[in-house]
Amino acid sequence: MTTEQQNKSKTLIRERSAKRRSLYKSVDRTMQFIFRLCGLIAALMIILIVFFVAARGIQVFLPGYENPVSLGEFLTGMRWRSDQGVYGVLFIVINTIITAFFAGLIAFPLSVLSALMIVKIAPKRLSNALTTVVELLAAIPSVVYGVFASGAITDIVEKIAGWFNYTTFGGNSMLAVILLLAIMIYPTITSMAVVAIRAVPESHELGSLALGASRTQTNFKVVLSSAKSGIFAGLILGLGRAFGEATAVSMVAGNAFVGPTWNPFDLTRTLTTTMLSGLHETVGVDYDVRFSVGIVLMIIILITNLAINALRKKMESGD
Amino acid sequence: MTQQIQVKTDNDNAFDIREFDLYYTDFHALKKINMEIPLNKVTAFIGPSGCGKSTLLRCFNRMNDLIEGVRTEGEIYHHDIEIHSKEVDVVQLRTDVGMVFQQPNPFPMSIYDNVAYGLRCQGVRDRKILDEVVETSLKQAALWDEVKDHLNRNATKLSGGQQQRLCIARAISLTPEVILMDEPTSALDPIATNKIEDLITELKESYTIIIVTHSMSQAARVSDMTAFFLLGDMIEFDVTEKVFHNPRDKRTEDYISGKFG
Repeated sequence: MTTEQQNKSKTLIRERSAKRRSLYKSVDRTMQFIFRLCGLIAALMIILIVFFVAARGIQVFLPGYENPVSLGEFLTGMRWRSDQGVYGVLFIVINTIITAFFAGLIAFPLSVLSALMIVKIAPKRLSNALTTVVELLAAIPSVVYGVFASGAITDIVEKIAGWFNYTTFGGNSMLAVILLLAIMIYPTITSMAVVAIRAVPESHELGSLALGASRTQTNFKVVLSSAKSGIFAGLILGLGRAFGEATAVSMVAGNAFVGPTWNPFDLTRTLTTTMLSGLHETVGVDYDVRFSVGIVLMIIILITNLAINALRKKMESGD
Repeated sequence: MTQQIQVKTDNDNAFDIREFDLYYTDFHALKKINMEIPLNKVTAFIGPSGCGKSTLLRCFNRMNDLIEGVRTEGEIYHHDIEIHSKEVDVVQLRTDVGMVFQQPNPFPMSIYDNVAYGLRCQGVRDRKILDEVVETSLKQAALWDEVKDHLNRNATKLSGGQQQRLCIARAISLTPEVILMDEPTSALDPIATNKIEDLITELKESYTIIIVTHSMSQAARVSDMTAFFLLGDMIEFDVTEKVFHNPRDKRTEDYISGKFG
């Protein structure tokens, strides 16, 4: 190539790249706009939902409302009688926390051990099969869990109650809710824990084994503590599901009028069942007060998330 | 390791390797290795990538057991005991033969818990003993002064060089006889590397150190003995000075003078 030819091709390349650059720039700008829009929509959705539910839920306590409910009685009340116009949410809050807590208490250790089994212990084929099972469990719609619970779990609960000389209302009880929720949140926590344990760098395990630790010691002391953060994220998601599950829970809770429920064989009432049951057969304050319950539920979930995050940070910093 | 299985002649060695072969399924990774690794010396393994030096290192604490498809023939004696024999408890062997890896791999827990980990796995619970071991190990690893005021801090927050010294402290905590180091400075900056090299020279007094390194200058600086590996063969093993200044084999000379690598 002569120098002239070289110069010519260089100019050509430069012209082309100048065109390209302006194209890239406009593509960049468009994409940036789209990304911002997506972020904005996500933020707006949350704001809209919270605002709408809050506005509707707060109005029942305001003086201008027809048959207003006293905020104090609402927050401290231990009775929920829509037929008498009595709306006390405190016992429902306690019921909700108890059922979610015990469901978590049952499901969490099972989930973590299952995840450890899937990732570290089971041979490959068994591990794949178990992963599929967990994924399937997570994919079952809650209404299916609900009919399963009202058909099968209630029977079991009734039998268990019989051993202790208790009677139940056809098995509908707090224990049934707890067992149902434990089954429902198990796949959620397990699949998150599997991801977290898979992400633990192999170098941690090798380091532990090279220090003369056994496989079991390595799994429990190093693998689980390295995966802590992801496992806690799974717990948050699981508890979120336990707090928020309405359909299936409504099918076995029995919606007690008073509480809190301490006897596991007794009927219970959670925030979600209160919001859901009879929603379409009612109007006025009984309808609007469900939004107030929604606010309470959102606040509880928020507090739980913050508490678990704080616990996780405390465990991670090691101080 | 009390049982005597096969008597060997020389007791001044940390490891006696006899006619040792290693295969990764079909790949012949180590070929008829014969060498004696002396006690309380620093022995360096050098050679181009894939020559088998790290593979041999991982035989000494049987970390290769964890890799599927590994098969070995021949013997490696550690104080009269063949380390692959059934009588050898791998856990026991690994507490006697510590290891430091290429990437610093502190556990995501406190500095204290990292150093105490090995002892705790052996069932030591006495806080006094643990405190003492943590302190002496960190002192020996030249890290004590930097961390003594925040032993509860998460070890992953340390710098890379500090993390590697912590890993050395962790290995020391079990008072092993041998410390294996697999390219311990290749992930570190020059200053951190210097500190580790100084540390190796100090540790040599109390421990037998076997170090795999890609840096020939490092081998020349820290080691007493050097072995040169090529394609699974041990080409030359001698006093470091001799290997670097007066190698017997042409291939060693070519590698050291940078003709390939």
